[in-house]
Amino acid sequence: MTDNLLFLSAPITVCILLSGVLSYFGNHILSRGIIFIDIAVAQIAALGTMTGLLLGYAEESAGVQVISYAVTIIIISLFALTKFSKQVIPQEAIIGIIYCVALALAMLLADRIPGGGNFISKTITGNILWVTWDKIFSCFIMFLLIGIIHLIFWKHFILISDTKNGLPYSLWKTRMYELIFYITFGIVIVKAVAVGGIFLVFILLIAPTSAATLFTDKWKNRFIWSWVIGIIGSISGMYISYVLNISNGPAIVTLLGTLVFVLAFVRLVMHKIQTVKS
Amino acid sequence: MFTAFEFMLPPFVASLLLLLITAYFGIHVIKREIIFIDIALAQIAALGSAVTLVINNLGSGPSSHAHEHDSRTLMAYAFCLLAAGVFTILKNKRIKIPMEAIIGIAYAVATTTAVIILDKGAGSDVHIHDMLAGTILWVTWQHVLRLSIVVLLIGGFHFCLREKFKKVTLGYLDKNIEVARSGLWDFLFYFTFGIMIVEAVSIGGILTVFAFLIIPASVSALFAERWTTRILIGLAAGFIATLGGLWLSWTRDLPSSPAIVMFLGVCLLLAIIIKGLIRLKT
Repeated sequence: MTDNLLFLSAPITVCILLSGVLSYFGNHILSRGIIFIDIAVAQIAALGTMTGLLLGYAEESAGVQVISYAVTIIIISLFALTKFSKQVIPQEAIIGIIYCVALALAMLLADRIPGGGNFISKTITGNILWVTWDKIFSCFIMFLLIGIIHLIFWKHFILISDTKNGLPYSLWKTRMYELIFYITFGIVIVKAVAVGGIFLVFILLIAPTSAATLFTDKWKNRFIWSWVIGIIGSISGMYISYVLNISNGPAIVTLLGTLVFVLAFVRLVMHKIQTVKS
Repeated sequence: MFTAFEFMLPPFVASLLLLLITAYFGIHVIKREIIFIDIALAQIAALGSAVTLVINNLGSGPSSHAHEHDSRTLMAYAFCLLAAGVFTILKNKRIKIPMEAIIGIAYAVATTTAVIILDKGAGSDVHIHDMLAGTILWVTWQHVLRLSIVVLLIGGFHFCLREKFKKVTLGYLDKNIEVARSGLWDFLFYFTFGIMIVEAVSIGGILTVFAFLIIPASVSALFAERWTTRILIGLAAGFIATLGGLWLSWTRDLPSSPAIVMFLGVCLLLAIIIKGLIRLKT
């Protein structure tokens, strides 16, 4: 048992770290209605990696990583500029377009790289079991830095996320805050997806905050509850995957996702009971 | 040259048929802000197929394969029906999270459940890649016939009831519009949409269908408000992109779906530039 605990201690630590930072961002993402942004960002990062390989850098070398981050930051900065006072095409649709064009480009490039097809499906799964303490430490430092940036600007970010029609500030001031928000977000996602895979990151972003938002509107409560749900959910998912001998990522995803559906139905039933009583 | 024409004609006709219905559905999808619904429904349908596979394996062993194919399609439809029901019920004033989030979670759960069920089955990578890219080049006239029947049925259904569906979609974001029995119309919308997606994805692949849904509707959103005009603009953009994509794919020996998607992206870029020029002039 202690051996297992030792073996699982690194993955559990990384789960707690990831749920902490992703649940925080998730609240913003949900309020803005740009749910699939992490899948698009991951796809762009993969495209950057493939470009690096095509230019002749070795896999997982510094050169490839720099190119991958650079491509991601450029595209996400462009995305931040698509915020207008009157939105003809919703931002989620722009994300969809970025995603499918990036995927198509990746498929065209995959033909030119030996084993390139792997890069399209590789990012989908990911595996937190093989994470090392070194990686956890570098994640921690990075998340800490980004956390400090967000601590400085949190009021503006929340105001922008809350404004559904029009803009809270002048066009370029809003876009500047958006730029800071999306660049930090992009960096977090690229780092997190490399560790946990797209689906784990996606569900940790969306599911805890959805579960919390079903029951409360206040930002403070949403943050606290999404952290609680995210951390407990991922640790129980790890436990279930260990007991039933299934892969850990899918176990956490299925557990947290199903939880949201169950809670949503509970919410509806609760409302029904209340109306019957009164 | 004649062989190229003969070879490319079925994929071209199939693409146009797909566009005919996706240009219309795309407007709904963008107005409702449920952009990724096609990927989610395709994945849910795939989960249905995976479940059938497991049930068949548990049963009598190697049964007849022709029968298995039918039951898989049926199960895929059944899962779409279920998803349509869940999406309709959860569209409620009390549920304050956006529909897109529910769709996203359904997508993630469906994908990972399929992974758990099939558990790294041999060649699953290939399967993922095939589902994404699709095999529109290998479409036969038989497929085209089947697709045209589906398009005709669903398109006809939506054409007859277009005012209802339009109203429900507009009422999605605007709380002032009240529609009688909106639940029923919502359910019908998701169910017909689901069937369309299952048929379309089996021919064009997720990527192409996704691009067909989103990009033509985005192009038309830049220039028009009326639905008929928007469908026509979307069709025109899709027509040009398909023609260019298939031509490039033939001459340069590139995979066809990504080529078509790239052309669609270029169309959107051109549309944005044209829109900017028009705005500068006025």
